[in-house]
Amino acid sequence: MIAYSRPFFPLFLHVLGAMTLVGAMLAVLVLTVAAWRRPEVAALRRAAFGTLLVLAIPAWIVMRIGAQLIYSKEFGSGGHGPGWIGIGFIVADAGLIVLLTTSGVAFWWSRGGKPIAGRLVGGLTGLYLVMLAVAWLAMSGKWS
Amino acid sequence: MTTAQWLLMFHITGAFFLVGGSVAAGVLNVLSQRAERPSETALFLRLIRTVLPVIGIGSIATLVFGLWLVHELDFDFWSFWIIAAIVLWLLASALGGAGGKHQERARLLAERLAAEGDTPDDELRAILRDPRGNAMSWLAGLATLLLLIDMIWKPGA
Repeated sequence: MIAYSRPFFPLFLHVLGAMTLVGAMLAVLVLTVAAWRRPEVAALRRAAFGTLLVLAIPAWIVMRIGAQLIYSKEFGSGGHGPGWIGIGFIVADAGLIVLLTTSGVAFWWSRGGKPIAGRLVGGLTGLYLVMLAVAWLAMSGKWS
Repeated sequence: MTTAQWLLMFHITGAFFLVGGSVAAGVLNVLSQRAERPSETALFLRLIRTVLPVIGIGSIATLVFGLWLVHELDFDFWSFWIIAAIVLWLLASALGGAGGKHQERARLLAERLAAEGDTPDDELRAILRDPRGNAMSWLAGLATLLLLIDMIWKPGA
């Protein structure tokens, strides 16, 4: 019951990208917390960075393209959407900064293994998951 | 917000938990297959357990709030897309459970090998690459993807 009378393909792209992004960030969080407890296992740090690079960033791109396609179809180029769309766009665009920062710190962590880098990756990943949850709640509940 | 909007919000939250948790489990499963040492394979497979509650909560929430929403909005329970969604939900759950049993077998062997010297082993590699065992997990993922398509497209609505 995700949508009714809305363009299928852009909405499918948007929802699939968003759900994959949430899954990728959840995997990164699980790997990061495990790496805090087992700092000697370098594979965990590499896996966290690899998941961000191979899955989370491509998922963000798919989600954002889907969002723009739906917006163009439903509101046109000059239209102003309701509040929940604004929340979605803010989280999507500010989220890119958080996602890229997390990926950069994760790269540093995967190379050097510094504990502070691991804490930062965990904190930023948790923050991004909260932002994504706010976005999906606002968009599915159609907050005004 | 109306009752239907609240129900839709909880239903979609369930879907995010179900699909997001499944993606995370899939990532950890792929990592376990690519690991070099049995101890790493066992570690990645153990981590899958941490996301199982997310998948479980998502599964139940999508079904309960979805059916409640069908009732609230007076949709026909016998519509093709609703029946298809229930069948796909059952398929995804059954296949996911079967895939989980295969991963559990691999984890037990990986933990034994890790305790016995932690060197790469052909038997573990064979289990991890067993097409039938892996097919269960991939088919569960495919059923979940079809469920998402069905929910958005709503064929026959």
